[in-house]
Amino acid sequence: MTRLVDVPAQFDDRSFEQFAGAYAAAAQDGERLLFDAHAAEWASPYGLVGLLAAGQAARAAGAADRPLLTAPTQADVLTYWTRAGFFREAAELFEIHGKVPRLKPVEQSDVLLPVTSVRAAEDVHAVVSNIQQRASAILASELGLDPKATMGFAMALSEACQNIVEHAGTGGWVAVQAYHWRRKLARRVVVIAVADAGVGFRHSLEPTQSKRFGARWSDAAALEAALIQGISRFRDPGRGQGLAGIRRYLARWDGKIAIRSGTARIAIVPKWDDDVPLKDGLPAFPGAQVLIIIPEQGPTTP
Amino acid sequence: MIQHIDVHAVLQQSVSGVYTDLVTRPTGRVVRERIERVMATAPDPVTVTRIDFTGVGCIDYSCADEIVAKLLRDRRAVVVLSGISEGHREAIEPVLAGHELAALIERPDGGGELEALGAPEAAAALLRDLVARRLAVHTSAGTIALTLA
Repeated sequence: MTRLVDVPAQFDDRSFEQFAGAYAAAAQDGERLLFDAHAAEWASPYGLVGLLAAGQAARAAGAADRPLLTAPTQADVLTYWTRAGFFREAAELFEIHGKVPRLKPVEQSDVLLPVTSVRAAEDVHAVVSNIQQRASAILASELGLDPKATMGFAMALSEACQNIVEHAGTGGWVAVQAYHWRRKLARRVVVIAVADAGVGFRHSLEPTQSKRFGARWSDAAALEAALIQGISRFRDPGRGQGLAGIRRYLARWDGKIAIRSGTARIAIVPKWDDDVPLKDGLPAFPGAQVLIIIPEQGPTTP
Repeated sequence: MIQHIDVHAVLQQSVSGVYTDLVTRPTGRVVRERIERVMATAPDPVTVTRIDFTGVGCIDYSCADEIVAKLLRDRRAVVVLSGISEGHREAIEPVLAGHELAALIERPDGGGELEALGAPEAAAALLRDLVARRLAVHTSAGTIALTLA
């Protein structure tokens, strides 16, 4: 029997909870999953890498056949997902139904980094190397950031990707895009999305932190420990610098970070956003999903 | 004697030669270990090791910690960092402060003038120690410069 998981028509970090709920319900009994994206109209980088993480988890769950994916039917959506590099990665995970155009992923004006797999340190080198030239132009000319901010951006991207390499226990994906965010800010933003279906923050930190937290130990506590307190699973005193560094960078440029892992989601919320700092009791979803948003600089109207 | 270590060259030998960025902890570890080997096998007595970051693109926090903080924490010689850009400082400074360490940075004008970066108390102590050991002197411009060329 095949279980259906609907992909939201507008698939971003907000609608991700609807998707995660559908995934959690469908994945309970280990049946083959069908991810239905035929009605998809738009997907953010977070949606795209999140969908790949779901496919990765479904494969790892051990169903005999690969999960199914129904591709979007709208031609422009299909083209966009292809250009964003989604289908190049999805082909390894899903049995794809629908006509996928034979286009290469490209670095268009808005796709700073197509969906790219991250499995090892070498992949992080490639990501950082690829992004710097394009990001420099976008950050300075379109977002109004100081040209010096480009290196900080590359550092933040590197550290976000390294969370996969060092903590997930499996591979993951990263994508970077710039777009005009009409709904929330009415200005341009650069978005970094990173996702994996690995062990998640709670499992990663459990050996060193669960005793300290006692009965309070949970996905939410693990996220707080990592993002707010800078705690790492390693005892080396230099560890935990990565997320702290990302926070410093985002504080300087009025950016946002949100991390979802397991049944919880934590966010550092800038003034322009109305997100909730910590949510617990969400539908269980494997691994970790990271969203970083850097807005165009200037006065904001929340 | 001043020993000169070209980090960009070490990086090129450590990872694929096409990358110029010091990113990821494994890369940092490999680069630091190579630097340590070079420091340990210097033919003459070394008083100052100049670690030159010229040509290095981005440094992330993990590499700053793995290379700079650990070299300073376990240092055997006086370490001076040169070729440090604004972007490099952004990664190195908070990492040093977190460890309550300081590093000597050689200003880019080539005159050997130094500043200390990192935790303020450690930075002041580092400069005092350098002058006391006559490895550096106060200049007429009110700065501190290496006595060795």
